[in-house]
Amino acid sequence: MFKWKKLGKVFTPQKVEGRSWLKEFAQAPASLVFDDFVRVYFSCRPSADENGQYVSYSAYIDLDRADLFKVRHVSEQPILSLGGLGEFDEFGTYPVSVIRRGAEVRAYYAGWSRCESVPFNVAIGLAISRDGGVTFTKLGNGPILSYSPDEPFVLSGPKIRWFNDAWYLWYIAGRKWKMVDERAEPVYKIRMASSSDGIHWNKANKDLIESRIEEDEAQASPDVFYANGKYHMFFCYRYSSHYRGKENGYRIGYASSTNLIDWVRDDTKAGIDVSEEGWDAEMISYPHVFELDGETYLAYLGNQVGRYGFGLAVLDGKLE
Amino acid sequence: MKWKKLGKIFDPTQHKLPNDCTHFAQSPQALVFRDFVRIYFSTRSIDKSNGKYLSHIAFVDMRKNLHDIIRVSEKTVIPLGKLGCFDEHGIFPMNVMRHGDAVYGYTCGWNRRISVSVDTAIGLAISRDDGLTFQRIGDGPVMAASLHEPCLVGDCFVKVIGDVFHMWYIFGKGWKRFSAEAPPDRIYKISHAVSTDGIHWIKEEARQIIANRLGADESQALPTVIEIDSKYHMFFCYRYSSDYRGRENGYRIGYASSTNLTDWVRDDAKAGIDVSEEGWDAEMISYPHVFALDGKTYLAYLGNQVGRHGFGLAELDGKLA
Repeated sequence: MFKWKKLGKVFTPQKVEGRSWLKEFAQAPASLVFDDFVRVYFSCRPSADENGQYVSYSAYIDLDRADLFKVRHVSEQPILSLGGLGEFDEFGTYPVSVIRRGAEVRAYYAGWSRCESVPFNVAIGLAISRDGGVTFTKLGNGPILSYSPDEPFVLSGPKIRWFNDAWYLWYIAGRKWKMVDERAEPVYKIRMASSSDGIHWNKANKDLIESRIEEDEAQASPDVFYANGKYHMFFCYRYSSHYRGKENGYRIGYASSTNLIDWVRDDTKAGIDVSEEGWDAEMISYPHVFELDGETYLAYLGNQVGRYGFGLAVLDGKLE
Repeated sequence: MKWKKLGKIFDPTQHKLPNDCTHFAQSPQALVFRDFVRIYFSTRSIDKSNGKYLSHIAFVDMRKNLHDIIRVSEKTVIPLGKLGCFDEHGIFPMNVMRHGDAVYGYTCGWNRRISVSVDTAIGLAISRDDGLTFQRIGDGPVMAASLHEPCLVGDCFVKVIGDVFHMWYIFGKGWKRFSAEAPPDRIYKISHAVSTDGIHWIKEEARQIIANRLGADESQALPTVIEIDSKYHMFFCYRYSSDYRGRENGYRIGYASSTNLTDWVRDDAKAGIDVSEEGWDAEMISYPHVFALDGKTYLAYLGNQVGRHGFGLAELDGKLA
């Protein structure tokens, strides 16, 4: 079992001033390490519209490398604009996963559209930065990963990785919309695809992580990290109904693999759970693991899936 | 080319159709049997929850004279998609093609959106009972929006040439507000994809294969391709993208040809069919489907109000050249 020592909440979006598009939420943290700071991308929202509906943007903060609780800079603008009329990312760009590749930084992001019978649909797009991840240009106005016979809707939560000279994308795909108290709730499972160019993908067409708490368990944020001879995946999972409170809300799970495609789930190893009280007492979700100066960190969301920001934990020992 | 019009051959209001469908018989597509022809079409019921239309596939079996009706489908040919799926609110059209002992049905599935009215994608359903019923290969589409085809992938026509599946289809260029009061209108163009199994497709990715005739905002729909004497003939329909519901800007049938399946030369003057002076197809003609039967070449198509009152037929006078 791993042991994570919680360090507390790093960033509170409500404290940011002068950015109308950043009022609430700092979801799905994703890191990019620089010489003297760590840029953490996340997704945020302006205030809800008159119908109570949100759009979401992605942005970043720069944390001091010597003290990750010191926010040095908040991005002046979202890194991506919303898509045009009728396009897949018209109503949101959330979450985002970044990777450095030569002189480029690539951002894989989920784009949100609004539907009539269900609240939304999601597909995955790609944008590229040539200024170190400050501004990004979308590669096209459509998605790079979209629906297919076994993945009919809600392709979201991309996590981009480069292993063994190939691109890998972990993501989630919707399995069903379940009616709960007359509301359509999405059930999704963790999937993956591989690619030689990061643009054209071969889907594995396989559920990677077996469901544990119920058949309709929803799984998200498949964050894969290589250490000590194997691949480690931290992810989050929840019940399909009434998951907005403590009882059925998100928890963090764990699986490992030696070949990237066959995964053994063992949540007892995850080593992190909700706190007795405080900002992460109801749920914990959207884990992201990164290594920095000899330490292994886990960034994650607390109550209300990041409405009030994200926090950090540090590993006591090694991932093995 | 010269097409001799044979008149309207099917009126949906004269038959009892499954799924409580009462109006529309759109995008006729023929499957030829030994002694009859099954013509699939899209018809509509009303969604009781909101009064909007739902498009369903049905068929009519006709004698080979293409005049006498034997029967219409008595049960659901293919159910609509599940909640949140690409084909939840309609299937229109469905292109049918024999492949081995099966019949492949390539569907254009419709799902309603909030900021725009709809999006579409292409699905595959397979029939093992000679086209009476079709079963999807999965809940999702085989071809959907992609990097440079951001919306509205649909209206496909599939043909196996050699051992390659060829698909001609349309993709959305985007939505546009032509006036402040009007809801957004869509603009779509014809493109091409290939496959070795009919399931996994490689798009040419937003290569518009048919040149514009009405300018950049021309919409092009429903390609149909027939091979005669080593030449490929494509019929399709096209219209302006705004104010297109009347005669002036409504659908007409266009024509293009190719000898290599890559380069297409558009020449609408050769299409050989236009709106009539009066009658059921005097305002617009659209959704062409060309098929061969007993040595003759036929063109099934829609008339006024895009098939609200049924579809008609024309017969080629001479040869496609």
